[in-house]
Amino acid sequence: MKYFLKLGLILLIISVVASGILAYINSITKPLIEENERREKEEARMDVLPEAVTFDSLTVFNKETVYTAKDDSGNIVGYTFIACKYGYSSNVKTMVGLKPDLSINNVKIISQSETPGLGANCIKPEFQAEFADKTENELKVDKDGGDIISLTGATITTRTIANSIKEGLNELKNIILTEEEVTE
Amino acid sequence: MKLTQEFTKGFIKENPVFVMALGLCPTLAVTTSVENAIGMGLAATFVLLFSNIFISLIKKIIPDKIRIPSYIVVIASFVTIVDMVMNAYFPAIHKNLGLFIPLIVVNCIILGRAEAFANKNTVIRSIVDGLGMGLGFTLALIVIGGIREILGVGQFLGHNVLPVSYKPVIVAILAPGAFLVMGVLMGLMNMKKTK
Amino acid sequence: MEFVGKIFTLAVTAIFVQNFVLSRFLGLCPYIGVSKKLDSALGMGMAVIFVMTMASTFTWLIQTYLLIPLDLKYLQTIAFILTIASLVQLVEMIIQKTAPALYKALGVFLPLITTNCAVLGVAILNINEEFNFIESVLNGFFAGLGFTLVLLLMAGIRERLDKADVPKSMKGMPIAMVVAGCMALAFLGFSGLKI
Repeated sequence: MKYFLKLGLILLIISVVASGILAYINSITKPLIEENERREKEEARMDVLPEAVTFDSLTVFNKETVYTAKDDSGNIVGYTFIACKYGYSSNVKTMVGLKPDLSINNVKIISQSETPGLGANCIKPEFQAEFADKTENELKVDKDGGDIISLTGATITTRTIANSIKEGLNELKNIILTEEEVTE
Repeated sequence: MKLTQEFTKGFIKENPVFVMALGLCPTLAVTTSVENAIGMGLAATFVLLFSNIFISLIKKIIPDKIRIPSYIVVIASFVTIVDMVMNAYFPAIHKNLGLFIPLIVVNCIILGRAEAFANKNTVIRSIVDGLGMGLGFTLALIVIGGIREILGVGQFLGHNVLPVSYKPVIVAILAPGAFLVMGVLMGLMNMKKTK
Repeated sequence: MEFVGKIFTLAVTAIFVQNFVLSRFLGLCPYIGVSKKLDSALGMGMAVIFVMTMASTFTWLIQTYLLIPLDLKYLQTIAFILTIASLVQLVEMIIQKTAPALYKALGVFLPLITTNCAVLGVAILNINEEFNFIESVLNGFFAGLGFTLVLLLMAGIRERLDKADVPKSMKGMPIAMVVAGCMALAFLGFSGLKI
């Protein structure tokens, strides 16, 4: 019995020391990781709405903040939100920049782990440019009769991105429109 | 065995991937590009080196009965450290390797070296062994990653190396390509050995 | 009805579309190592289904009711691997006492499972995919089922492969890899399934 207590004690000491060290390293790296994530999103917002200077939070969608973007004189230049849907093998998150008339200004894929060489090509700027100027009803891939050209061998990924943006737009357009009426 | 031999044995003669067939999961999963291969290789080398040092230091205090659980705690701690540090300083690579960073814990190379080497040898030897095996693992990953990236995308480390007219064999970077490249490479290693 | 549909999707995804071995590269060591004989493959497969379901259950509970409330998410890797290791040990003892016949069939495979990365892999994936409790348990079960399916297929092929005229240097592991590559190619066909 005493022997087993000793064994348990040694294991306990090792675990406690290990957790202590990890807690310390976590306290150093956690702010850095959060800062990275925040900066990444901020850069993505600037990318999809380059004219914008300030971003004010509007509402929450997909657990992420939806922003109203304004230029330096305070005019609304658009909105940003993050669309998210499960694609072929991962959740694909897209930062979407909307013009004031709710057509798309630009999009940027901010997180995905789709098949390398196929679905993962969605991060290429040429592909993301396909979505520019589209309105809610034009968000259809070529296979479904729309004019967004699918990635080679990755229709599922393309469709996922188009649908995720469409769903987001559908959900958010009323909120954005009522918000505009209030401010005007 | 001389220290230099201890260091170089992991490269070819006892290469953990090609000869001992250890750590197959990360080897096949992350080698879609050379960049990922290097990231994974170095992360595993770090864990291997430090767990080897640590285990050879504490081997006398640990009773035999709780050897394995203690090793697992030590290894898991270093893996978590690597995970956190990579996430903070190299977020892009961390994102690519994803699930396979925490899975270094169950990489048989690391527990294997702890049990077969660090457990019985001095600290210095364990350091040399950890570094050698880790670099051997990295080397294997780079070879596989290189072949797959060149065949599948026509690039090496993100630079075009094949003429534009080359049409990439996409299957090389998909799952089946990993198995096929690995099988052929293992066969070549066998051929060299039996000669 | 919606619930049934969801379960069906989960099952098809875990077994075919995103097969743990052939598409996610998890659990390769036992896949290559224990697939020489059909009956031992069956034993291993059953043990893995059992442990994966149990592991999914317990790690989800630990993550949700222990690690998240206490803000200890950085201890996830250590907590999960220790849970799995003790679970395997416990299961081994219980089976040994209560069902000697079952123990005889599964006993040798159980210790191997601790370092099977598919088990830790499914536990972490359940958390990453933000599955709820029931989805996690089912996902663990289906993932184990998918693993067993390809393990059995592989064992069936390899039993016949023994009699085939394979070049000497490709015998054993290398040809197994090539066969796995062909199977992965076939499973790639399931990727069109989108429910």
